Amino acid sequence: MKTATCLALTIALVTGAAASADTSDKRIALSNNYAGNSWRQAMLESWEATAGQAVSDGVVAAADAFTTAENQATEQAAQIQNMILQGYDAIVLNAASPTALNGAVMEACDAGIVVVSFDGIVEEPCAWRIAVDFEQMGSDQIDYLAGRLPDGGDLLEIRGLAGVFVDDAISRGIHDGVAANPQFSVAGSVNGDWAQDVAQRAVAGILPSLPEIVGVATQGGDGYGAAQAFEAAGRDMPIIVLGNRQDELQWWAEQRDANGYETMSVSIAPGVSTLAFWVAQQVLDGAEVPKDLTVPFLRIDQADLDQALETTPEGGVANTEYDLEAAQQVISDASS
Amino acid sequence: MSALLDRPWIWAWLAAFAAFAATAAISQSQGIAGLLVAALTFSAFTVLVGLGQMFVITLGPGNIDLSIPATMTLAATLSLKFMGGAGALALPGLAVALAVGLGAGLVNYALILLLRIPPIIATLAASFVYQSLAIWSNRGLRIKPPDLLSDLMLGRTLGLPNVAYIALAACLLAWVALERARYGREVTAIGQNLRAARFAGIAVERVRCATYLLSAALAGVTGFLLACFAGGAALNMGQEYLLSSIAVVVIGGSSIGGGRSNVPGVPAGAMFLFLIVSMLNSYGLGAGVRLLLTGVIIVGIVALGTRSRTAR
Repeated sequence: MKTATCLALTIALVTGAAASADTSDKRIALSNNYAGNSWRQAMLESWEATAGQAVSDGVVAAADAFTTAENQATEQAAQIQNMILQGYDAIVLNAASPTALNGAVMEACDAGIVVVSFDGIVEEPCAWRIAVDFEQMGSDQIDYLAGRLPDGGDLLEIRGLAGVFVDDAISRGIHDGVAANPQFSVAGSVNGDWAQDVAQRAVAGILPSLPEIVGVATQGGDGYGAAQAFEAAGRDMPIIVLGNRQDELQWWAEQRDANGYETMSVSIAPGVSTLAFWVAQQVLDGAEVPKDLTVPFLRIDQADLDQALETTPEGGVANTEYDLEAAQQVISDASS
Repeated sequence: MSALLDRPWIWAWLAAFAAFAATAAISQSQGIAGLLVAALTFSAFTVLVGLGQMFVITLGPGNIDLSIPATMTLAATLSLKFMGGAGALALPGLAVALAVGLGAGLVNYALILLLRIPPIIATLAASFVYQSLAIWSNRGLRIKPPDLLSDLMLGRTLGLPNVAYIALAACLLAWVALERARYGREVTAIGQNLRAARFAGIAVERVRCATYLLSAALAGVTGFLLACFAGGAALNMGQEYLLSSIAVVVIGGSSIGGGRSNVPGVPAGAMFLFLIVSMLNSYGLGAGVRLLLTGVIIVGIVALGTRSRTAR
């Protein structure tokens, strides 16, 4: 009886302490699978800015970023194992694969480490997931085009890198959107690998065989290349949905000023890494955080264009970074 | 006719023509000219890096340059940053790209010679360094090329894209170097039998050094041209060219084991690689089928090319 009371008291003390725990001695690591494009670079810079500030403010003891060289799941699993050995309290993860890292993530959880995955999420249930509704990102584009083009017509779809789940999800959303709007049909589909020059090359190759195209659905990082290809072929410029890159926004503004061109731009803000940072910090702090969170896309419409251009660094990507309050807002929205 | 069919590069040309005809068959009439222009434009970049890779592969088993994509990215990033959009700096900008390429080639060769690392490892390892330098120098921000250069790269002369003329000139120079100049004879001799080449008094290491420099210099210049064409350098701009630079050499009928190469196959291989993707896209085939068919067709061309070589 005495031991039982003692035990209960200890548990109460421990949990009570956890709820108001101070995170100033906690160390957080970022495990990132790829850094080879402007979106990932912006993501890392956002992390450095926000997490670096949090470290100097004494909110956490460390927030180190690590990127694997080869974008391989095996390599990232080894990286996570190193982080476990180094004794980090939380690992924030942009994963190379939704399934292949499950083993390493479980090891981290078993070692009492908080794992928060974002953008490239992991399926392992012990981890938190900050997911993007990629399918909606696809279907939203078709909804927008349906509003602009009530008569419908032929669309061109630019996909990402074949075999990556993000590509499948966005494409599924686009095709679901087309199924719901039968006035549209997808006349052609190419892989642009989320890179301007690859998209330009692929679109230039398929254009000769296509009928008149009224709209182009994209995945981000490929809209400017598509516009270049249409221009080079001397065809009428369709409504190209853009992906928040500064050169795309710049081109949009130029077209708008020249001939009143209208479109919209949608992508994920690279600053989602800062949301993941605060979620990890909140979990360490003992806050109740649901395992599945959804991050909204960053959408730019005609009216927001000038402001977005002003705040986006030249050659970079439009961005929003999260502070603690914004992150707590996302958490409380998801809890309710 | 049979003499022509004996040429190892003929199959690549036939395949390119077939892919062109198949795509043109379902294109609108004014689209056919557009397809030709697009094919000439985009294959030009592949030709330039492919020629460099061809000379390296000719050196014999184990010789390959895997640093081409990273060298392209680094040269493009640094030269566009240097120009900062100013047309007056166009030529110095090109010189920067060339210097970056030559520097990369020198590092590659130094790793191979001094540290005795096999080229496949040396160039791959060096490419991580180049890619990291490119990231570090500009963190992926895209700087616009000067209008002068982007107009030149996107422009046409006598109806054909300017970049195609650059690629054609490079092919002619490469043909002279390989078939008529002493350098080409030496490269081929080294590839056919290293020991025999040494005994024949060829300065083997000097020729190898020159070849790795040539490949990296071409990669640097191609990166510069591609960045001016595409409206800026991107960190992943070279990715496509790792496999395609090797593929055009093999499809073009040159031996992957070295010692037997030909220049006419390189442009054919580059055109084919562009047209096969266009054809399969135009017929509405998905990425899976497309990659499968591309692989099967490449194996077919290489098999035919090898057969005509052994039959001779």
